[in-house]
Amino acid sequence: MLLISCPNCGPRDETEFHYGGQAHVAYPEDPNALTDEEWGRYLFYRENPKGLFAERWVHSSGCRKWFNAVRDTATYRIAAVYRMGETQPSVTGGAK
Amino acid sequence: MAEHTLIAPITEQRATELRRSPAEHLAAQFAAAEVTGPHSLALREVPFRTMVGLRVVPGTDAARRVEELLGTPLPGRCGGVAICLGNSVAAGSSVLWLGPDEFLVVSPLGSTVGPAEATARLVEALGTDPGSAVDLSANRTTFELAGKAARDVLEKGCALDLHPRAFAVGSAYVTQLGPVPVLLWKTGSETWEIFPRASFADYLGRWLLDAMREFHGAR
Amino acid sequence: MADLLPEHPDFLWRNPDPKPSYDAVIVGGGGHGLATAYYLAKNHGMTNIAVLERGWLAGGNMARNTTIIRSNYLWDESAAIYEHSLKLWEELPEELEYDFLFSQRGVLNLAHTLQDVRESVRRVSANKLNGVDAEWLDVDQVKEVCPILNTSDKIRYPVLGGTFQPRAGIAKHDHVAWAFARKADELGVDLIQNCEVTGFVKDGNRVVGVQTNRGTINTGKVALCAAGHSSVLAKMAGFDLPIQSHPLQALVSELHEIVHPTVVMSNHVHVYVSQAHKGELVMGAGIDSYNGYGQRGAFHVIEEQMAAAVELFPIFARAHLLRTWGGIVDVTLDASPIVSKSPIENLYVNCGWGTGGFKGTPGAGWTMAHTVATGEPHPLNAPFSLERFVTGALIDEHGAAAVAH
Repeated sequence: MLLISCPNCGPRDETEFHYGGQAHVAYPEDPNALTDEEWGRYLFYRENPKGLFAERWVHSSGCRKWFNAVRDTATYRIAAVYRMGETQPSVTGGAK
Repeated sequence: MAEHTLIAPITEQRATELRRSPAEHLAAQFAAAEVTGPHSLALREVPFRTMVGLRVVPGTDAARRVEELLGTPLPGRCGGVAICLGNSVAAGSSVLWLGPDEFLVVSPLGSTVGPAEATARLVEALGTDPGSAVDLSANRTTFELAGKAARDVLEKGCALDLHPRAFAVGSAYVTQLGPVPVLLWKTGSETWEIFPRASFADYLGRWLLDAMREFHGAR
Repeated sequence: MADLLPEHPDFLWRNPDPKPSYDAVIVGGGGHGLATAYYLAKNHGMTNIAVLERGWLAGGNMARNTTIIRSNYLWDESAAIYEHSLKLWEELPEELEYDFLFSQRGVLNLAHTLQDVRESVRRVSANKLNGVDAEWLDVDQVKEVCPILNTSDKIRYPVLGGTFQPRAGIAKHDHVAWAFARKADELGVDLIQNCEVTGFVKDGNRVVGVQTNRGTINTGKVALCAAGHSSVLAKMAGFDLPIQSHPLQALVSELHEIVHPTVVMSNHVHVYVSQAHKGELVMGAGIDSYNGYGQRGAFHVIEEQMAAAVELFPIFARAHLLRTWGGIVDVTLDASPIVSKSPIENLYVNCGWGTGGFKGTPGAGWTMAHTVATGEPHPLNAPFSLERFVTGALIDEHGAAAVAH
């Protein structure tokens, strides 16, 4: 089980959270202007790295706030936690 | 329309008589589960408390007006509980931190200010600024678990550190008890108030009864 | 001491060094890679080919699944490819001359709500139209098929009935891999273990070779059959896949007397349970929520599926969990696989099988081999192309066919 540090509530068990997938995916400014390929990429394609991954979590059984984490998808180690709207902190290392 | 109504409007008194609390059917079992001695335990439901959900961003004008009404600054951190000194909402009400911009105003038992009135006053304080105050009294019920073994019972299903050095008297946290989302409020050195949503009350009540069972033979 | 040891049994396949060049290279020596190699050799006469495996044969998801085989999917495209796969399963023990204990004991998919019932009945009708054996069973009939199931109406989600596919079942997963490996090897395929692909050699947009920790290998064609690591390999080759990799856990109990006659799956309370030939209970459920390549997940996921299992099977309440494990499943948004050409010429992808990879092994191999050999999809895998994520012609099996992710 992951121990996740909510920026508002501190470390809590994974069971209090829900996962939100890749972070920093912006909604297209003008969806109507996109080609089918571009729209398909927006809808269906997300990064899936083995290693450091910026992703969203929500503390659903706590403060109910979304936040971001940088986590290593191979070791599951959480390298950084930061609030929505904050810039992704620079983190190095992680699995290859 | 009104003159065709066939059913007489329900009076407030009649409504109070008809009201059923979410764990009312477990009252006898709760009473029977009491344990005395070194592993003392007592569980009861404290129904029908006034609870107003408050959304407001601290530091804003709206928050300042709300704080003035409540007679206390809003709690500023996870676990924080503020006691209202003003009596315009309800003297002795508590404001529990739910999130950075979300709070629960809980009136003491026997409060003379009803939920509708408390809510209306908070709505008025918010004015037209962003924020909300909603009567959530029917959303949750309250279980009071008290006794020397209360912490042992809760530790069976709560991942928070419940030791006094980490969970002080007078603090409240949103967390899970078993699989149930709850607000857990430590109101005394051996007394905890647990707020489950109404639909989870039956399950959580039975969960607590089960968790208390081992102490029956240990007196 | 040495003379006290029994004689080493015959090796089932050679252990060759990689040749400098092959007509085709398959990346991934799991079930799908081995099946693809076997059908490339058998159906298409391509025998100058190699399977490159980073670890050992069938040591990934092939060693980590719950071996359920069925074809009772809702949509026509899925029913077609999984039913083709099931028909191959029925022939394979004889064809591969290897008894991998394929046991057609049937699969029950339970319904616990009225909506479950509606969906189940609809799926049975769809299955029948597609020539898939399927029937709707009421509670009494469910109890007849699986007497140890708790069909009381006193539980939180009572069993209201279920769909039953009699031809479905389980097989011994490692024997399946060995069977494919042995036959592929006999046909001349090089099965090369401890050979990790570290890069792709391209001429323009065409793949012409792979770099490995054992040197560069030239090849006319490359087939990716790497399940959870597909995204990593695709990235290496210069394109993206609409896939997310997740941990999926499963577990076995200690050995017990044989008491469970079929396979029971429940989407609603979320567990699937069978009893393997030796007597261990084999169980699994949903994926862990987050992306992960760690081949492990969280215990609360196991705990939830155990709660579901004990509610459905009170007889298992005192069974002991013996071992849990995790695989890495590659999940697409529509819960259907990708068996397709890729944006890179002569490079083909077989991935996205999510939690359904084992049952699809022969079907994936058959259609992937066709795609690699001819450069065009087989009619069965044409709908499972990458293009569907542009055209929107999704094959949405999420929830439709008891897909567990």
